[in-house]
Amino acid sequence: MDNIVLLVVLPLLAAFLMPVLARFSEVVARVLGLSVLVFAIAIIINVWPQVNSQATSIAIGGFMPPIGISFYVDQVSILFALAIPVMVLLFWPWQRKTSIREYSLMMLLTASSSGLVLSGDLFNIYVFYELLAVASYSLIAVQGRAVSIAASFRYLLMGSVGSVMMLLGIAIIYTQTGTLNLAHLSLLAPLHLDNMAGLAAFALILVGMGVKAELFPVNNWVPEVYGSVSSNLAALMAGLLSKLAVIVVVRIMVLLFPQPEAMQLMAMLGILGVITGELVAWRARDFVRMLSFSSIGQLGLIFLAFSIPGDTGMMAGIALALHHMVVKPALFMLATGWSGSLENLSGVARRSPLTVLLFVLLILSLLGIPPLPGFWAKYLLMVGLAGQDSAVYTLGMIAVPLAMIVEIAYLFRLVMIMYRKEDTVKVKAHSKWGLAIAASAGAALIAIVLQLQPAGDKLTTLAQQLSDRNYYIMTVFPQFHTAETGMQSIK
Amino acid sequence: MSMPAIEVVLYTGAIGLSVIGLAGLLLHNNVFRMLLALVMLEAGVNLLLILAGFRLAGVAPIILPEQMHNLSAITMNDPVPQALVLTAIVIGVGVQALGLALIMRIKAQYGTLNMLKIREQLEFDLAVQAEVSTPVSAHSPGSLAQGRVRRHVSEAITQKDEQ
Repeated sequence: MDNIVLLVVLPLLAAFLMPVLARFSEVVARVLGLSVLVFAIAIIINVWPQVNSQATSIAIGGFMPPIGISFYVDQVSILFALAIPVMVLLFWPWQRKTSIREYSLMMLLTASSSGLVLSGDLFNIYVFYELLAVASYSLIAVQGRAVSIAASFRYLLMGSVGSVMMLLGIAIIYTQTGTLNLAHLSLLAPLHLDNMAGLAAFALILVGMGVKAELFPVNNWVPEVYGSVSSNLAALMAGLLSKLAVIVVVRIMVLLFPQPEAMQLMAMLGILGVITGELVAWRARDFVRMLSFSSIGQLGLIFLAFSIPGDTGMMAGIALALHHMVVKPALFMLATGWSGSLENLSGVARRSPLTVLLFVLLILSLLGIPPLPGFWAKYLLMVGLAGQDSAVYTLGMIAVPLAMIVEIAYLFRLVMIMYRKEDTVKVKAHSKWGLAIAASAGAALIAIVLQLQPAGDKLTTLAQQLSDRNYYIMTVFPQFHTAETGMQSIK
Repeated sequence: MSMPAIEVVLYTGAIGLSVIGLAGLLLHNNVFRMLLALVMLEAGVNLLLILAGFRLAGVAPIILPEQMHNLSAITMNDPVPQALVLTAIVIGVGVQALGLALIMRIKAQYGTLNMLKIREQLEFDLAVQAEVSTPVSAHSPGSLAQGRVRRHVSEAITQKDEQ
């Protein structure tokens, strides 16, 4: 079980070894990186049954929490930890020959994002978040296009302000409680964080992490960055990195900030994200920009879902997050050939009918047309919203269908363009690898439709584990039999 | 509970430094100044974090053998925030170095350090790359010359087609 730590250690080691090895042999360096990723997947598959039966906490170096730093492994974190090496392998820059620096940065990205989902310590989360941020700024900058440097710098400014906000939030939490371990904080939260200072800390952390998660007021960078990087990297950032930030925010919110104001703040920002994202996507005139703004809208939906108290909201949030993680990268892979103005796609359905059909399948699921998985995710969201009587959730119930109408308007407009009779196609051919990824995403959607019952059961377990504070506390501190005895002994 | 005067000064300094940094980020257009403002913002927040563990008349948190019997009599500074700030400073320096490197590349490519011009050029380049003739998405009012961008883009696309 302890070899979970290797998920962070090995890619980090590889990231710094690869440039050195490349001086002797570039092939060896690349093989090292790829084999580390495969090894990481093997480790996760190996511990998967154990984690499925019981979540564990790993004390790094044998220093027990709350003094030491711990990793927390449950079904949610192991699922996202598995998604990291898998998606990095899928979106590895296979198609073109690039410098060893890009491969090395990909490994740094793997190490830091694995650390981010697994860590059970607030400051550790900050450090991994910064490492992830630096890796992604550099990955954008090494793309080699002129625009990517400027986009990277503008992202760096916004990201750094976000990190400073998050650090300030952590400072407030530390002054209130005097600890940084998430389980320990969770014990102390009802006493020390259920006040204005705690709410301020949550708002700061939400905005800080929100930069990565494309949250409403801090998502200026999204269209610039996705427009100036290769579709592989855009797929990885939109599909994976944004979800990781969301999951970490949700974990912090569940454990530390059970007050309704925190949830309503997140719901409000989510609603604003949905509305603005979809409206701007409607005005977009090129494929990649449309996808970028649509992803802002989808992330808004995910934030809204996670902000609903109770298991239904959690289920909806996880379902939407996983669904977006499959669909959006696939759409970005289709963008490799279809980048550029939407008008260029006029009549493309005659040339490549199957690819267009695949695109239609993906967007139907994104819109939430039954019986595709996207429908069930949105259905859960609406059920969750309907169960709440606070004004902000009612607003959400109005905003979500309205945003869907806008979404239908711009996506079907694009489908109409694709099925036009006149053929002015100026598109490039898709890479085989990209098409294969998109096709397997489509196949995954259909597979979920056929296996709805097991998928739903898994989702229920995930939601319960993510929303259960006591389970987390008792996993990290097994000496306390209930959260109440923990509270007593802490006092 | 009234705070000792020295703590008021320290907290005012830390918060003031952060506010100066934030204001600098919002008000300046020169990217180098924006980066310097970021440095000040980080310094302010780091100072605030140090103050969280600071005790007036506190000593370094090292327990000597002869002090073991009366630990409660000694006021010690909290070492955890200091360790955190050390990490935060290192991370901050790394990010600032990366930012400076990017600024040098931007200056070489765009020949300007003005954020508004860089942004305008960036939007223009992205529009040309995507071959759209109108500025994509209605811009914020901050965008300087939408008309100019539009004309440039259509010219650039015509040139591209001619080639």
